[in-house]
Amino acid sequence: MSESLQRTVEALLFLASDPLSEQELAEATECSAAEIEAALQALAGQYAEGRRGIRLRELGGGWTLASDPAAEDAARRLFSRRRVATLTPAQAETLAIVAYLQPISRPEITRIRGVSADSAAATLLERGLIEEAGRSQFGAVLYRTSTQFLKLFGLRTLQELPDAARWDPTPEEQAKLRERLLRAGEARAGSGAPAD
Amino acid sequence: MCATGWASELLAVGPGRYGERVSIATLDLDLDLFSGPFDLLLTLILREEVDLMELQLADVVLAYLDYLETRGDLDLETATEFIVLIAALLELKSRLMLSTEDEEELLDIEPAQAAEELLERMLEARRYRAAAGHLGELLQAEEGVRFREAPLPANLRKTIAQPTDGSQNPEILGQALGRLLAMPPAISLRHIGLPRVTVSERLAHLRGLLRRGRFSFDEAVGGADRMTVAVTLFALLELYKRGEATWEQEESFGEIAVHASAVQAPGYPEAVAG
Repeated sequence: MSESLQRTVEALLFLASDPLSEQELAEATECSAAEIEAALQALAGQYAEGRRGIRLRELGGGWTLASDPAAEDAARRLFSRRRVATLTPAQAETLAIVAYLQPISRPEITRIRGVSADSAAATLLERGLIEEAGRSQFGAVLYRTSTQFLKLFGLRTLQELPDAARWDPTPEEQAKLRERLLRAGEARAGSGAPAD
Repeated sequence: MCATGWASELLAVGPGRYGERVSIATLDLDLDLFSGPFDLLLTLILREEVDLMELQLADVVLAYLDYLETRGDLDLETATEFIVLIAALLELKSRLMLSTEDEEELLDIEPAQAAEELLERMLEARRYRAAAGHLGELLQAEEGVRFREAPLPANLRKTIAQPTDGSQNPEILGQALGRLLAMPPAISLRHIGLPRVTVSERLAHLRGLLRRGRFSFDEAVGGADRMTVAVTLFALLELYKRGEATWEQEESFGEIAVHASAVQAPGYPEAVAG
């Protein structure tokens, strides 16, 4: 039973182009969640790194088969295309803001970055890394990251992203920054601001 | 009142800037509220001796259009000057009409508060720039991993089942096409009762009247519908073009007296010969 379930699950993973959740697998095979979990564990062992050209990965809220990076050079020669073009700094920043603050609208992204994010957002949308997620109360389109994003960045869920606050400067650094800003502001106010 | 900033701006573009050239400043105005040259009006507005709220700016524009008409030519520089001034007046007036309290509140941010807000935004931007770097690393770590991108084979998709061969009746398709090919019955237009009258009919009618001498246009179209009147007018113009007829009208909306033209156009002598 368990061996045949493993083979069935393997076949389903082969056929699906999107990650399959354990629940989807359980429903399709008419088995319990525990049985599916056991089958996936066994398969993961068989597909462990270094054993096959294919790996079983838990990504984007489900399980999916992926190629071993060792095959990348040959794959690139075969398909003559990079799997995903690298992101420009603007695209990466926009993607980070969407990933952490989703759902979020373009005007908000622009406000945080201080420069327009329209072209970057359009490219991310085109590549399927972000997708529309309804509209804000003011009618602006909201964006969220897609399953494709999780797959490409090797993430099981969004919760795997580290807390963004870890990149904040220390309180001492912040205090120094604040002081510098204030001094710059006073220098400007002293030089040319109108008295009224 | 926040008019002081605007006053200086208006003065900067205002009268005197264009020196000896014919300037919009000399435009004479005769309005309900004010009578005199345009530059005096501006000065009075800026000194708040004329209440801008009471002044109808549309009247100023109309006066300018009249002035343009009498001058006969459009001096682009003067026109530009006028547009700049009238636009400034319009904006000043709209600002006077709106409450300015909110704006003042916005401007009254303490430097410390402004710095705090700026710092907040800088930190936020910095946080997500760092996060972007992290995402870049993640992407780098996944370099070389590919996924199946092939769509599911058609027969395994969860879509509506494809109809099997021979399950559809070609006659249904034929009937659908047949209905499209048949000519629809002509739509009856009888109830519209379109009056049909041609220019040549009305030409003949007018020539008939001309032979008898003078006639008025009203006689020519007496009791006719609007379409006939319009076509008769076309016919009359046609006669004028050919030099067969001309007309006089003593006053606007008065009677139009039509008579044969004194000078016959060559080539159409037979038209009035009878």
